[in-house]
Amino acid sequence: MKKTLLFIGLVSIGLSACRKENTFDGPSINEINSKFAILESFKVDKSTADFETGNAIFSARFNKIVSWKITIKGSISKATKIISGESKVIDASNASWNGSTTLFPLFKTENCTATLLIASENDSASTTISISKTKLLPTGARMIANFENGLDPKWTKFFQSGASMECLVKADNFAPEGTKYLNMGGTVNWDWLIGLVDFNANAYNNNVTFPFSTNPENEYFNVLIYGDPDPKTNMTKALFQFKEDENSDGVFDPTKEDEYDYSVDVNWVGWRLISVKYAEMVTLENGSPIPPKGNKLHNPDKIGKISFLQLANPDFGFARCKIDLVSFTQNKALDL
Amino acid sequence: MNKKTIFFIVLALASLQGYAQKARKLSFIGGARSSVFSNALSVSDTLIDTTTAKNNYGGYTLLDLGFNIQPNKQTEIMGMFRIKNNYGGFWGSGVQFDVRQLWVKGVVGNALRYQIGDLNLRQSPFTLYNHHADQLDSMPSVFKLQQNIVSYEQFYQNNTWRMQGANVDFGLSFSKFLKEINFNGFVTRLNATNFANVNERLMTGGNISVFQSNQFRFGYTYNSTFDLKATTANNNLFSNTIHTFDWSINHAIAQNNLKLAGEAGISNWNYSADTLAPVLNDYFVNAYAKLYLAYFHTNISVGYLNVGPDFRSIGAQSKDVNYNAPTLFFNRFTNNQQLRPITLIDMIGNENIYNRTISTSLASENEVFNDILPFGLATFNRVGAYGKLQYQSKNNIHVQAEVYRLNEIRGQGSDALKAFSQIKLNSKIPFHTLIGLANKLEVQLGMRLQQTTRNSIYATENIDYKNLQVSLGLNYEIIPDLELLAGFVQQQNNGNSFITERNEYSEVTYFRNSNYNLSQQIAAVGLRINFSPKAYLCALLQQSSYQDQSTINNKAMADFKINQFGLIYNILL
Repeated sequence: MKKTLLFIGLVSIGLSACRKENTFDGPSINEINSKFAILESFKVDKSTADFETGNAIFSARFNKIVSWKITIKGSISKATKIISGESKVIDASNASWNGSTTLFPLFKTENCTATLLIASENDSASTTISISKTKLLPTGARMIANFENGLDPKWTKFFQSGASMECLVKADNFAPEGTKYLNMGGTVNWDWLIGLVDFNANAYNNNVTFPFSTNPENEYFNVLIYGDPDPKTNMTKALFQFKEDENSDGVFDPTKEDEYDYSVDVNWVGWRLISVKYAEMVTLENGSPIPPKGNKLHNPDKIGKISFLQLANPDFGFARCKIDLVSFTQNKALDL
Repeated sequence: MNKKTIFFIVLALASLQGYAQKARKLSFIGGARSSVFSNALSVSDTLIDTTTAKNNYGGYTLLDLGFNIQPNKQTEIMGMFRIKNNYGGFWGSGVQFDVRQLWVKGVVGNALRYQIGDLNLRQSPFTLYNHHADQLDSMPSVFKLQQNIVSYEQFYQNNTWRMQGANVDFGLSFSKFLKEINFNGFVTRLNATNFANVNERLMTGGNISVFQSNQFRFGYTYNSTFDLKATTANNNLFSNTIHTFDWSINHAIAQNNLKLAGEAGISNWNYSADTLAPVLNDYFVNAYAKLYLAYFHTNISVGYLNVGPDFRSIGAQSKDVNYNAPTLFFNRFTNNQQLRPITLIDMIGNENIYNRTISTSLASENEVFNDILPFGLATFNRVGAYGKLQYQSKNNIHVQAEVYRLNEIRGQGSDALKAFSQIKLNSKIPFHTLIGLANKLEVQLGMRLQQTTRNSIYATENIDYKNLQVSLGLNYEIIPDLELLAGFVQQQNNGNSFITERNEYSEVTYFRNSNYNLSQQIAAVGLRINFSPKAYLCALLQQSSYQDQSTINNKAMADFKINQFGLIYNILL
């Protein structure tokens, strides 16, 4: 018995030696509950921003961790950028603005007002900034479709003959970028498919594949989607298919070659930027992941066709959405 | 390949194998249940709630039909289908057809036992264990009946978790020095890859138990959860490994018995390629002495518990209750469409909020139901002592009492440490044996008091929080096979506390001050007709109420009541 107790004692001492000593976990509660004070006022590092060359940095400093939100509004475009966080310091690490937008449309060359709100303390502050040059698409970005020149005749299009069908490039105030976008919608109560557009690689060059890199970790697919679902059904699905022509014969064989998919339920109202790394796309069959049918490797340089399909459950039948700025970017998602 | 396909393949193979054997056996097991409930909500809000429905009706009928096939003496195959029809279902709409269980088990060479498919697994309380930490210890029968349905649905059996994989165990007996050594090992799949960026995640575990004699036993337990390399291009692999050593020494003292037992171990938690993720290493010790006093029919235990602040064990720190899950009915209420909080009525009978298997990240705690040991004995950052007493008289009076006195090891947002105390008292009194009644008359009493305090040099860091739970149950056999069931539970939360917010790595990011003056009650009465030990029909009437009287609580809820009438017909084949 004594030996056992001695052994247990030695094990306990040995174990206690491997526990690290910290003062406490998390932020100081005393500090969290202290009276709020702004130690450095809210400001921006430049009065005029050229987003082709650099970002605008907002800054402020408080005496404790608070939840804060900076809302930047364009005076002409009415575009809105929201930056939020929970910290004691606002600086380049958490409040750097590259001219991008949270609520579309995009910002224009215009004056903007930036408002800092600390809701828990019922405190706010404002500053102004004017945009001299707006943000550019990142280097290496490849535009698949911005619809500024309408529907390319080399794209393949198919639309069901349902009720109130529409597939038009429109030019109106809804345009989030440039002046035009693709509007698709209608009611089809016998099939999931409302309509589709195939963006074929040979519409852009004479090759059978798009000129993307070989590394799927570096390739990001981006699209702007405007959601306006019927509140009764809340049913619109946007499915993007990426069909790899692995043997470069100009024909996609769905039984022997990889197809990667991205499906999204368009259940929001307004424009939203969707960005997905190509390496993270999966093969879908009836909405569920399955193993790819080809070499089972993501080969962005082998993509021969990108398809956009609008779908809806035929029990409901109705779907509608708008899309714009279908593009691929390298190394990071598109940041508008 | 889905479960149905596997089941038919296994069934076909079993049929072929059994064709050549005369000893083939086929038996049917399973159960059936029909349940209908009517729920009514009443809300006391400053504005009259005109936006949410106040009545809810629903029910279902289900049949679980299992085929237990024994193609030979060494093999047993089990497949169970479920057909469920929600009331109102018509021509397939609302009807669910599913495979509920599928496993094969057998013995190789009369020595090695194996099971493949669905498994109910449990290891030690610090490695793989479903603690049911937030459940009422002394649940009146009228509520236990509903909780049993939840347990059946989620496959809760003796603190096990439902998993899929393979399990083997075997033992060796010795004539000298050692009595026997038992080995057990398993591998299960926690989540499947999505073929893109989510890796295949497995859990493996094993245990070696060495019985030197009836008096001395020791063992080693291993548990590891890890991402399988190269199942996707994502090379950031998660792993959580626990090694434990346990022991048990029995020493007879006349008719009495003294047992010295315990478990100690270490854990590691890391991501291989995420520089933001911390590497957590820590240890735990749980040791106790248990004295059985034969003359008094009493067990007395005293123990020491020390679970480090960075001790992580996915298998032991998963919770059965998912506090982020939507409630089964009246999910939102009031004009502001507030999320209705999980209350006693949900904890007792709402299977929606219960997890079937372990989670892959640290589960959310809820201090309203358990502030002291939210992950049972495996709750990290606790050190202290406990004592237990169990008494069972000759005429079946049961009394259980527990006292825990614990402290934090590392402060949470403060250098001052929290002190925890918990007192539990449960008893079951069979009055029919005491006063000589022919029919059963059993009364259950339960009480749990939790208290958390922290005294800091900064008044804003102080905590004084109490949670009192009282339960009373009655079970009276009016005539043979007709029982009157009644139960009442009252829970009171008072004082202030800080709700901990954590990031995806379980690191603390913020503390939300919360003040409680919260009162919950649930009362129920039911009539149960027992057709057999395996079949009953029960009519239930129950009312639950939720009153948040705190004026300074940031998340103050409108008071509400839920009245419920239900019929349950339950049969086990």
